[in-house]
Amino acid sequence: MRASVFMAGGGFARLRRRIAEIEANSRAQILADSPNAAEPESLFSSSRDIRLSRAPPTLAPRRGAATLPFAIPRLDHMLAGGLRRAALHEVRSDESRDAGVAIGFAAAILSRLADDDDRPILWIVEAAAAHEAGALYGTGLIRFGLDPARLIMVGVDRAKDALWVFEEGLGCRGLAAVLTEIRGEPRLLDLTASRRLALRAAEHGVMGLLVRQSHHPEPGAATTRWLVAPQPAAASDDTPAAIGHPAWRLTLERNRRGATGVFDVEWNHDQRCFITRPAAGEVAAHPRPVAAHSPDRSSAPSGAGKIVALRPKLRDEPLPREERRRHLRSRG
Amino acid sequence: MSRSPAKKGVATSARADEHAPVGHDKEEGGAPLAIVAKVKNAIRLVALDEVAERAGLVRGQALADARAMIPSLITADEDPIAVAALLDEIADWAERYTPLVAYDGAAGLMLDITGSAHLFGGEEALVGDLVARLTAQGFLARAAIADTPGGASAAARFAETHVVPRGGNAAMLAPLPMAALRIDPETVSALDRVGLKRIGQILGAPRAPLAARFGIGLMRKLDQALGTDEEAIDPRRETPAFIAERRFAEPIDREEDVATTLASLAATLAQSLETHGEGARRLEFALFRVDGVVVRITVGAGRPIRAPKLILALFREKFAALGDELDAGFGFDMARLSVTASASADPVQIDLTGEAAASADVDGLIDRIGARLGPESVSRIVPHESHIPERAESLVPASEAGVVVGTASDAGGLLTRPLRLFARPEPVEAIAEVPDGPPVHFRWRRALYRVTRAEGPERIAAEWWRNDGFTRDYFRIEDSAGHRFWLFRQGLYGRETVAPRWYLHGVFA
Repeated sequence: MRASVFMAGGGFARLRRRIAEIEANSRAQILADSPNAAEPESLFSSSRDIRLSRAPPTLAPRRGAATLPFAIPRLDHMLAGGLRRAALHEVRSDESRDAGVAIGFAAAILSRLADDDDRPILWIVEAAAAHEAGALYGTGLIRFGLDPARLIMVGVDRAKDALWVFEEGLGCRGLAAVLTEIRGEPRLLDLTASRRLALRAAEHGVMGLLVRQSHHPEPGAATTRWLVAPQPAAASDDTPAAIGHPAWRLTLERNRRGATGVFDVEWNHDQRCFITRPAAGEVAAHPRPVAAHSPDRSSAPSGAGKIVALRPKLRDEPLPREERRRHLRSRG
Repeated sequence: MSRSPAKKGVATSARADEHAPVGHDKEEGGAPLAIVAKVKNAIRLVALDEVAERAGLVRGQALADARAMIPSLITADEDPIAVAALLDEIADWAERYTPLVAYDGAAGLMLDITGSAHLFGGEEALVGDLVARLTAQGFLARAAIADTPGGASAAARFAETHVVPRGGNAAMLAPLPMAALRIDPETVSALDRVGLKRIGQILGAPRAPLAARFGIGLMRKLDQALGTDEEAIDPRRETPAFIAERRFAEPIDREEDVATTLASLAATLAQSLETHGEGARRLEFALFRVDGVVVRITVGAGRPIRAPKLILALFREKFAALGDELDAGFGFDMARLSVTASASADPVQIDLTGEAAASADVDGLIDRIGARLGPESVSRIVPHESHIPERAESLVPASEAGVVVGTASDAGGLLTRPLRLFARPEPVEAIAEVPDGPPVHFRWRRALYRVTRAEGPERIAAEWWRNDGFTRDYFRIEDSAGHRFWLFRQGLYGRETVAPRWYLHGVFA
């Protein structure tokens, strides 16, 4: 019975979404067909009137599946399918100068989370953390793959307030995720507090991300804990001299569902996906082009491809005459 | 002020005590006290206490003359700021009688008690209560009720009656001196020179010659006092649209009692809000302490609310944030909940899936955080038209930001902007190979970074219409360990500066 109600709910949500799309299209059509469309001023006013008089129908926000895969097989296997949504995760950076990398990894996770989840994200920053390592910059975040319009920013002065907002946020079903960035190891955030946060996240289905600028890993109830460190970025595809996709060394320090390990990954912000990097040791023979490309002529020497020094012998090729004769002689 | 017959004014006027420096102990039968200030190049008395008045001193007298008359005179300098603050506190306190309290001169208050006298058992009882309470606090106060503000002001200062009967303004004003009309001293002395000393003398006189000789202001003041001309009072606070209040026979001081009161007031308010189809955007809960202190707690809501449960939840956060700062003293004897800002709250269709409740949930969360940590602590990132990185966006309180338009079309491309930006660019010591080139190594926060790769420069010129700052050349650099930073060189060589400085402005992921 309960399941059927849920099914009905899902069906309704789909139906309403479809109707809303049709309605939006028809409204746009009405606007385009209206006789006043030629006059820009009246068009503006009429479109505004319509927008004011008829608010778009409220849609059921999408929620994603139970886990958020990294699309890196080895990592997803370790995490039993991916990062659990209704859970608390901790991202740590050793030094303040690495705080950008830690936020980058968290933002990458949220960017993937936002793909199939429409709900807003609560972003809590302790003043000390922003002061030490810089405040979040929305313009940079857009390029990185996360729309700042989806963020509700909360600035707090004390770690105590940050934890209070964190807990309140994790209890709010209207949010997709709550990220809290704090500096150091506040005494308030002990094992009990951490367990409370984890339970609340699990109960309400909100992902909790605790980003800490902390040198010491503290015991906590987080499902996973990651240490993020920077790595030199790979060369960019277009311009070899440029700095390519951001690269990080992720150390999965704690994992309640399996083994831990070290991963070297890159974040492709265009595709919004993680890419595995070849681990140290198995570096390709030529990781980057030896000579710089020239923009106005071909990088290959002229006539390349015509002279082949070692031509491989192909099966289907007709044999030269002497060879064929020799063949025939041996057979005969 | 409309001419509704029930509309009346109360003016309270206090004398020397109100001018007394805050903290001055009043002694019965002590030495005379006078407040002095420099007026017209001489130190003169501006306020006196009863003892000094009885001794024959008058306001405006030079201090030297007063000292000659009474050598034991105690003087204190006038402190207009403290006096204004004291009057402010009294005005706060007076809001227990009506929310419409205005200033009336330097030492008076005007209360519009239309429709609230019956709460105190009639006008006589109200005046009696007001004067008794002020006297108990150590003030010398006079109060009067009349049909018009002008009449009340004159009666409180010059007449013996406390309550002028309806329509009795003319009779009350007739024996009073001209100064009771609130006209400037020059007009008073001009009237005095022609023998017009009492208001009664001009009440029946022809208006045109009087207006021609003494100005139209005199006639207007007279008409306002009599009620033939309109006069509006200017309340200190914006008049709330919705009010619910409760008085207690016995003061309350327990937190639970305050919460219960708040709950019942919120329920009362919810009804009137619903009748008008309105919802509260800002609420003020005022607690009137027995000793005259008024505690005000304000909460804001991101969307119009009227459910008592939501209102209570917001105040609960506020009380939690206040903690021990909320001092009940000897208890509160009155509480008032008023809606200081409202918006229309039309009924909305509920979502069949119940998911719409989720977004309401987020609004509630924003309000709760705002109530506890201040409304400006919850914000949204709003982009601005500017190339200067720190001006390209700002944090706007979520309650004001509304819906932020998504800019997802800018996603992807080159990562030319950092994820974290320092509010204040941090100076670094950088060494560059060529003057216009990227740094080879630099020192930031005492650590040395060796640059392995650099992108740039991206030149961002200062905004000429602001005329501040220099051109900046931004470089995106990576060090040997893989840290990616955003550095800029401030100022163009030769043209803007001879020694450009380097700054670290942001950190990339």
